[in-house]
Amino acid sequence: MLRFAIHILNTEREDIGSAMITQMQVKGLMFDPYNNAYIVILRDEDQSEMLPIWVGKSEASSISLAIENVAPPRPMTHDFMKTYLDAFNAKVISVVITDLTEHTYFAKIHLTYADSEYTVDSRPSDAIALALRTQAPIFASESVIRKQSSEELDQWLENLKPEDFGKLDS
Amino acid sequence: MEEHAPHTTDALIQLEVNRVVEDSTTDTRIVVLTRADGTSDLFMVWVGASEGESIRRALDTSTTPRPMSHDLIKSFGEHLGVKMERAVLTDVKSSTYYATVFLENKGVVRTVDSRPSDAFALALRCQAPIYVTQDVWKRRTGQNLDAWLSKLETKNIGAQEV
Repeated sequence: MLRFAIHILNTEREDIGSAMITQMQVKGLMFDPYNNAYIVILRDEDQSEMLPIWVGKSEASSISLAIENVAPPRPMTHDFMKTYLDAFNAKVISVVITDLTEHTYFAKIHLTYADSEYTVDSRPSDAIALALRTQAPIFASESVIRKQSSEELDQWLENLKPEDFGKLDS
Repeated sequence: MEEHAPHTTDALIQLEVNRVVEDSTTDTRIVVLTRADGTSDLFMVWVGASEGESIRRALDTSTTPRPMSHDLIKSFGEHLGVKMERAVLTDVKSSTYYATVFLENKGVVRTVDSRPSDAFALALRCQAPIYVTQDVWKRRTGQNLDAWLSKLETKNIGAQEV
């Protein structure tokens, strides 16, 4: 299992079993006024793929703090999560957005601890918030990128007005 | 790491999370704790809406289709074999409470600095006891606020969020 993790770290796109994964970067956060939610925009390195992930307000706020590299006066939940893992020297190797079913994204967090690897089921928002704090790479499986209809998203983006951008409260 | 966290529970007062009250005027939640020894005084901590809801869900033992943030931390513990021993409210400065979470793995105990909300949300999920130091108990806010609290709770009936 450890070999698998190193495999991920050293490769941009790699075939792991039958699941292809692509490394993604967090490009930004947007407010979605129609759903009163926030969207985390993930893009791959050559900007050919985009993955929008809808998250709640507190998760968006946590991701925003990590993007802006702002340390709040008291540890927020994901800061606590990081210190929890740090206390036992458990390391986040990578996070992978693994699946998309009925508009819900699924993610896995890969950890190493005491020479063993662990995979923990997570919401993408927690996985991304933790990855940004631990400098762990974020991947998305090809099936997720395929399933997400870019046509639908383009249409949605066209409907956005300029004032819909930059409404994040932090 | 919190250096001043007491390493025994002798001088501590054990608390139990009783309920989470919505303060609709400020989009915050009030976590109401009672003393485990049955003394009637209350201990109140103001927390954010999402943290309050996480505590409420743990009290109701209701589950969500996907693991929420504190469920994920609990899951880390289960995978790594880390046990939450206790949460201790160790300090209060400018009306802000400070908590320390005690974690144990293979006989080694580590302490992690935390907001009370995260400490409560995790403690309830891990069946870990919650304590407050004598000093923090004496300096608690919300003394003599029982009447105010019951008024708030009456007002909130029928106004619970969906």
